[in-house]
Amino acid sequence: MLSLENVDSYYGGSHILHGISLAVREGEVVCLLGRNGAGKTTTILTVMGYLHPRRGTIRFKERDIGGLPPYAVARLGVGFVPQERGIFPSLSVRENLTVFARNARSGYWTLQRVFDLFPGLQARERNLGFQLSGGEQQMLSIARALMLDPVLLLLDEPSEGLAPMIVKEIVDVLKHLRGKGMAILLVEQNLRVALAVADRHHVMNKGEICFTGGSEELENSESVLRSYLSV
Amino acid sequence: MELLVAQLLNGLVYGVLLFFMAAGLSLIFGLMNVVNLAHGSFFMLGAFIGFSIFHLTGSFWLALVLAPIPVVMIGIVMELWFLRPLYARGHMDQVLLTFGFTFVFYDLVQTVWGKVVLTLPTPASLQSTVHIGLGVFSAYRLFLIGFGFAVALLLWLLLERSRLGAMVRAGVDNAGMAAGLGANIPALFTGVFGFGVLLAALGGVVAGPVLGLYPGMDTDILIPAFIVIVIGGMGSLRGAFVGSLLIGIADTFGKAYLQNVALFLIYLAMIIVLLIRPQGLFGIKYADAPPSALARTIMPSTPRTRALALIALLALIALPFGLADYPRALIAEIFIFAIFAMSLDLILGFTGLMSLGHAAFFGLGAYSVAVLGAQFGLNAWLGLVAGVLIAAAGAGLIGFFCVRSGGIPFLMLTLAFSQLVFSVALKWRDVTGGSDGMPLAMQPSFFGFSLSHSLVMYFMTLVFFVAVYLGLRRLINAPLGHAFIGIRENEARMAAIGYPTRAYKLLAFTIAGAIAGLAGGLYVIYNGFISSDAVYWTASGDILIMTMLGGAGTLIGPPIGAAAFLLMKNVVSSYSEHWLSIIGVAFICCVLFFPGGIWGAVQKLQPAGAKP
Amino acid sequence: MNVLELDHLHCAFGKLVVTDDVCLTIGEGERHVIIGPNGAGKTSLINQIGGQLKPAAGRILVSGQDVTGKPPSHISRKGVARTFQRNNLFQNLSVIENLRLALAVAFGNPLDVFSMAARDQALIGRARQLLQLTHLDGEEKCIVRTLSYGGQRQLEIAMALASEPKLLLLDEPTSGMSPAETARMVELIAALPRSLSMLMIEHDMSVVFSIADRITVLHYGKILVTDAPAAIQANERVREIYLGMAH
Ligand SMILES: Nc1ncnc2c1ncn2[C@@H]1O[C@H](COP(=O)(O)OP(=O)(O)OP(=O)(O)O)[C@@H](O)[C@H]1O
Ligand SMILES: [Mg+2]
Repeated sequence: MLSLENVDSYYGGSHILHGISLAVREGEVVCLLGRNGAGKTTTILTVMGYLHPRRGTIRFKERDIGGLPPYAVARLGVGFVPQERGIFPSLSVRENLTVFARNARSGYWTLQRVFDLFPGLQARERNLGFQLSGGEQQMLSIARALMLDPVLLLLDEPSEGLAPMIVKEIVDVLKHLRGKGMAILLVEQNLRVALAVADRHHVMNKGEICFTGGSEELENSESVLRSYLSV
Repeated sequence: MELLVAQLLNGLVYGVLLFFMAAGLSLIFGLMNVVNLAHGSFFMLGAFIGFSIFHLTGSFWLALVLAPIPVVMIGIVMELWFLRPLYARGHMDQVLLTFGFTFVFYDLVQTVWGKVVLTLPTPASLQSTVHIGLGVFSAYRLFLIGFGFAVALLLWLLLERSRLGAMVRAGVDNAGMAAGLGANIPALFTGVFGFGVLLAALGGVVAGPVLGLYPGMDTDILIPAFIVIVIGGMGSLRGAFVGSLLIGIADTFGKAYLQNVALFLIYLAMIIVLLIRPQGLFGIKYADAPPSALARTIMPSTPRTRALALIALLALIALPFGLADYPRALIAEIFIFAIFAMSLDLILGFTGLMSLGHAAFFGLGAYSVAVLGAQFGLNAWLGLVAGVLIAAAGAGLIGFFCVRSGGIPFLMLTLAFSQLVFSVALKWRDVTGGSDGMPLAMQPSFFGFSLSHSLVMYFMTLVFFVAVYLGLRRLINAPLGHAFIGIRENEARMAAIGYPTRAYKLLAFTIAGAIAGLAGGLYVIYNGFISSDAVYWTASGDILIMTMLGGAGTLIGPPIGAAAFLLMKNVVSSYSEHWLSIIGVAFICCVLFFPGGIWGAVQKLQPAGAKP
Repeated sequence: MNVLELDHLHCAFGKLVVTDDVCLTIGEGERHVIIGPNGAGKTSLINQIGGQLKPAAGRILVSGQDVTGKPPSHISRKGVARTFQRNNLFQNLSVIENLRLALAVAFGNPLDVFSMAARDQALIGRARQLLQLTHLDGEEKCIVRTLSYGGQRQLEIAMALASEPKLLLLDEPTSGMSPAETARMVELIAALPRSLSMLMIEHDMSVVFSIADRITVLHYGKILVTDAPAAIQANERVREIYLGMAH
């Protein structure tokens, strides 16, 4: 579904990503791990089209999307949950969910379905975005991405600031989505979440991928855990 | 009774015209959060182009359909090439840019259509009168009201029933995120801007047979339209509609029955609404707007900057000896306006509050000197001291109400209060001479030298300029100045670490008012004359422009801006009759090529002192 | 004397009750952690104590003095300092300028118009100490917006400590941090003087249990239970509504 080949990406003048290659297939959860500043968020932003790769190719559904602007990438069926959540503060919860949902009627995800998923949001339906608690904003951001009915979901630290109970729910949701054939690229600091949902892990360091493997492999490679994740 | 109904009808007609303006502004300013001072120009252009099309084709209806087309095209070009790069830069640059455009459009209209008042005849089919119940009414006016209501309904269907409004607000809140959800925000904004321009142009054409056509009709409709959307609620179509009709009717009745206080009442109403409901009657209280892009860290002086300042001072001392009387006088005026601009910068650039009423304090100082001299024979220097104190007291009082709010409500509150001061200056003719003005009774001497000598005047103003400059520099570098800057940067955090921020803002406002009063007093001594024009809101606008032109948030910027502005105005106007266009283009270029004002751009060239 | 006393506190946004009859006391030197589901009203509670939000009823006592409904600047001068859930700093100023602003109001004369703020050696000395304490030495001249996210979180704490408060309110100090940064932050907080009382909100259980003397669980604005960490861990209700563990 999504594949990156030897992608180099720059932030202004500084070279951040060095030859990143990875692939996410249908019904698969791939997780990016690594210290702060390792280039995880940059990878996601590059896929979304906020940054354009200087070298290498990004393919999505067999199409080269390397030069497309974010809105075009989103319209191809990519859902995006940014690290800072990106809630529209002056829109209500309901408006946040529906404002850019193009196929809210035809698709699987409807207001009712996302409210079932996050009952806390339904109670706040009419509240403006800036009035939400930190955790509620996080839930809203995930719900909003789902409302676009994406086939690929990019999640940047979805568990940040959420109560343990909700984190568990999100893990269940991600598993459920994977079961429905969605492809998911996940950035996560919470190792427990990563191990619970991901089929494959890429550990990043200084803009390069330095480890690739399944959950068991990762758990067993003490050295990777210690030197790149400090656990 | 019949008269009353006729007045009501006239009020509705004016209200509908306001609505065409306000609805567009509500989209552009309320929703897109772009301050477009050129919106009145689109109204004016629509009217004049409609006039020409009518004279070419003889058909009003053709004019109504065709005239908006070129206007919308101009609007779209302006949005694409000029405004788009400014969305992220905050209101200041937008004000400066669109202000520049109003000059260009004004000059264009004046050149093509002349300065005389033109009228567009009523279309033949609507020249008749209609009898309904209470009296005889012009068919055109009835048509106009019907047309306005129909457009309002259409807009309502388009906006409130679709997600368009929410999309634009989302784009304003976080354009990057909106793009990540599949929205093509640039295209959306261009469309909405063009639509707003269309409404203004349509309004201009239908206004033709009712209002006269003259260069200057742009500001005459722009200010009431701004008042409408602030009272009605930013970004609320319902607010724009109700507000337009309210203001239209109130204005018409006020002018008919309460000539003297009509102006007063509108501004008083605005103040009351803003104090009770800062978001306007129908507005929703949104999250605070993101902080402006004014990003300057505190720059302490270094030996190098001190040496440069000394050289500049020596140059200013040597300069007048090589100049004739007129340039000396012009530079003296620049010094006075430099003081005025620096005082505004204390609240605008350093405390982060944009005021459109600063001329009120300039006026208080000026009138104190003139009136106390005329009534009590007080020496002008003592009058100056009194003027500074009165201006400070006025600023303290007005500031007390204004500093509760921030952002656009603050801007409109200061505007309204200063217009109240203006109304007093205008209407209290016995004392102030109203728009005819009053002379300074007796020019004082400066340490025994006569101020009628241009060299003495030059050095007198220079002394005050240097004193204010040094004083403000001290203030800015002292803990108090840093506290002001902290409030500009993050008021909530300042409160959380223990600063009573409202009191600090009031203090800044009062100090700025006092210094503006000083400038005003000096101006009377310099000019020997003061009239109510000096307190009109356009005077506040000019000083705002000077400050931003030079670079708000710097100390040297405002004097540079004042110099650039006054030199352009006085020098260019003596060489070219298109001086307005030249100034306008200069503003536009300044915004595009010198972000942060002239001095702001110069500062950026220097290696920043505090980079990691 | 108790540093903080909340006495039957109530607060609501419209119909939504976010603080419902909350009574809580924090003794001198106590490290108290509030946990609870998202939207339970934890931040709202801290906002009331800090003065950002006005309670509808009840009283807030700081060292026995009533500060209910007072503005943030007043409460700050009573010895209460706070950090924010999302970084809330002077983004365009340097690290040291941020601290100087906080120090000037506590120890300097912020109304002074004569001295040069940047030359106040006493304040700069204090600022350097704070930077050392929060592992930010070396970042002194850095413009905050260019500081790493974790660095900004640390600066949040330094800003709060600047006024030498009696009570420190921390709203999710480790949110958004990597495990390594979290570990450093926990170490930093644990090393603060024991005389400083703390009220902290946190979702990361390992952080909670390594810092808390006592824990309060908030649920729909109500206090579900206040107890020692071990008792909280064993509490069935808490496991059910917050930790989400199987019974
Ligand atoms: N200004 C406001 N207007 C209306 N409702 C609000 C406002 N601020 C907060 N709320 C609501 O009050 C509830 C409590 O919010 P609060 O921020 O205190 O939660 P919290 O416990 O800190 O949650 P989290 O762990 O997610 O940060 C939330 O449901 C939130 O939506
Ligand atoms: Mg919270």
